Amino acid sequence: MNVSPITSWEGVEAYFTFADSPVAMVLILSLAVAVTFGTILHSVKHENSTYIDYQ
Amino acid sequence: MDEVQTAEKLAELQTLIEMSGTINMEVFYWWCTGLMVIIHAGFLAYEMGASRLKNALASGVKNILAFAFIIPTFFFFGWWIYLAMYNGFTPDFEAAAAGLPWSTNMGPNLADNASGIFWGAFVLFAATTASIFSGAVIERIRMSSFIILAIILGSVVWILGAAWGWHPDGWLTTEWGFHDFGAAGCVHMVAGFFALGVTINLGARIGRFAPDGTPLTITGHSVPMSIIGLMLIIVGFFGFLGGCIIYNTGAQWTTIFGTPVTLSAVSFNTLMAFSGGIIGSYVITRQPFWMMSGALAGIFSAAPGLDVYYPPLAFLMGILGGVVAPLADKLITNKFKIDDAVGAFSVHGVGGLIGVVGLGVFAGLPNVVEGAPAVSFLGQLKSAIVMGLLGFIPGFGLSWLMAKAGFLRVPPKAEEAGLDMVEVPLAAYPESVPAKSSIPASAATA
Repeated sequence: MNVSPITSWEGVEAYFTFADSPVAMVLILSLAVAVTFGTILHSVKHENSTYIDYQ
Repeated sequence: MDEVQTAEKLAELQTLIEMSGTINMEVFYWWCTGLMVIIHAGFLAYEMGASRLKNALASGVKNILAFAFIIPTFFFFGWWIYLAMYNGFTPDFEAAAAGLPWSTNMGPNLADNASGIFWGAFVLFAATTASIFSGAVIERIRMSSFIILAIILGSVVWILGAAWGWHPDGWLTTEWGFHDFGAAGCVHMVAGFFALGVTINLGARIGRFAPDGTPLTITGHSVPMSIIGLMLIIVGFFGFLGGCIIYNTGAQWTTIFGTPVTLSAVSFNTLMAFSGGIIGSYVITRQPFWMMSGALAGIFSAAPGLDVYYPPLAFLMGILGGVVAPLADKLITNKFKIDDAVGAFSVHGVGGLIGVVGLGVFAGLPNVVEGAPAVSFLGQLKSAIVMGLLGFIPGFGLSWLMAKAGFLRVPPKAEEAGLDMVEVPLAAYPESVPAKSSIPASAATA
C-alpha cells in the first residue's frame, strides 16, 4: 500500500502518510480519538469490576 | 567577482544563516522539551514517595496516565485552543487553522520547522499542570475521574489561560498590560486553584482528620523519594524556563510578550529565587520536604519577573514564597480541613499568586505589544484574579458534578485496603507488605 503523498523530495512540504488525503486523515484521527476516550470508558469498567468486592 | 555573482553569493549566505538559525531554534526547544520530561520523573517520584505503601503504585499509574492522556488530547484540541482563543471566548478561526489536527502543519512538513517543536514544548507545560493537580488528590480519587479532570485541566483550561495571558496577542496583555515571563499565572495558579477546587469536593483521605477535626499526619512511605523527586522537578524547570523564551534568528531573545531578555537574566534570577525559597521554608519548617517544595514556591514567586528582577530582589521574592507556602498549607489544612496531600495549592497556586501580584508591586515595565499599557499593579492583580478563577471554577464545578454522580472517589473500603491491592496487578515491594493477595496467581508466576 502506497500512502505517501510524494513521489520525489523536490520542493516537498507536508510529506507525512495520507497528507494528501483528508478523508483518510479524518478516519485515522477519528480512530485515535475513539481509542483515547474509549480507554477511559474501559478504565471505568475495570474500576467498577474491581470495586465490587469493596462496596 | 562581479555584482551578479556577489548578489548570488550573499543570497546563498543569507539562506545558510536563516536555515542554521531555524535548525538552532529547533535544537534549543528540543532539549528544553527533553529537560521538561524530567519534571515528570520528579513528580512521579514525589507522589509515589508521598503515598503510603498501599497506594504507591496506584499513585504512579495515575501520574503516568496523566502524561499519556494529555499528549493526544493536546494534539486533538489543546494547541488549537491556544492559537484561537487569545481574544477571550471568541475564537480566531483563521489564526488557528494551522493548529487543527488535520492541518498539514500538524505533522512532518519540510516547510514548517516550528509547529511540532512548539507543540511539543507546550504539551510538556500542559502535562506539568496535570502533574501539579495529581499530587493533591492521591490515595482516594477514582482513576478515570482523575484522567478526565487532568484532560480538562491540561488540554483545555490552562491553555485557555495561556492564550489569554501567555501569548503575544493575549487580551490580558493587550488590555491590562499583563506580564508573566515564567507562566506563574497560566501554569501554576491555574493548576493550583484547579486542584483546590477538586480537593474541596473530593474530601480528605480517611484518617487525615480526627472526628473533632484535628489534623492527623499521614506520612508517605518514602520521604527521601519525594525529596529527590522535588529536586528533579527543579532540574526540569530549567527546561521549562528555557521554553518560556523565544529564539529569534540573528536577534536578541525575547519573552513571549516580545520584550527583550537574555538567558543570563533568567539564570541570575532563577537560581537566586530557588535559593531564597529553600531558606524561607527552612526557617519556617526545618524539614527537607518543605525546603524543596519551598524552592519551587520560591521560583514561582519570582517567575513573572525572572526576566527583569534585580537578583537580590528575586532572592527576597523566593524567601517570601518559601515562607508563605507552608503557612498557607497549614491554614487550609487546619482552618478549612482541606486535604491537599502534597501542598499543591500552596506551592503552585499561592506561589504563583505571589509572583503575579508581586511583579505588579515592582511594575513600570513598558510593553512592546501595540496598544498594550505598561505593566501595572492593577493589571497584574486583575489578571491574577482571572487566572485564579479560571482554575478554580472548572475544577470545583466538574468535581462537584462528579461527586454528585458518585463518580469522583473510590469506595471507602477500597481506600482502606489500598489502591494497589484493588487496582494494580503488581506489588511495589514484593518482598515486603502488603498486597500480595492482589496479584493473580498467573501473573505472580509469569
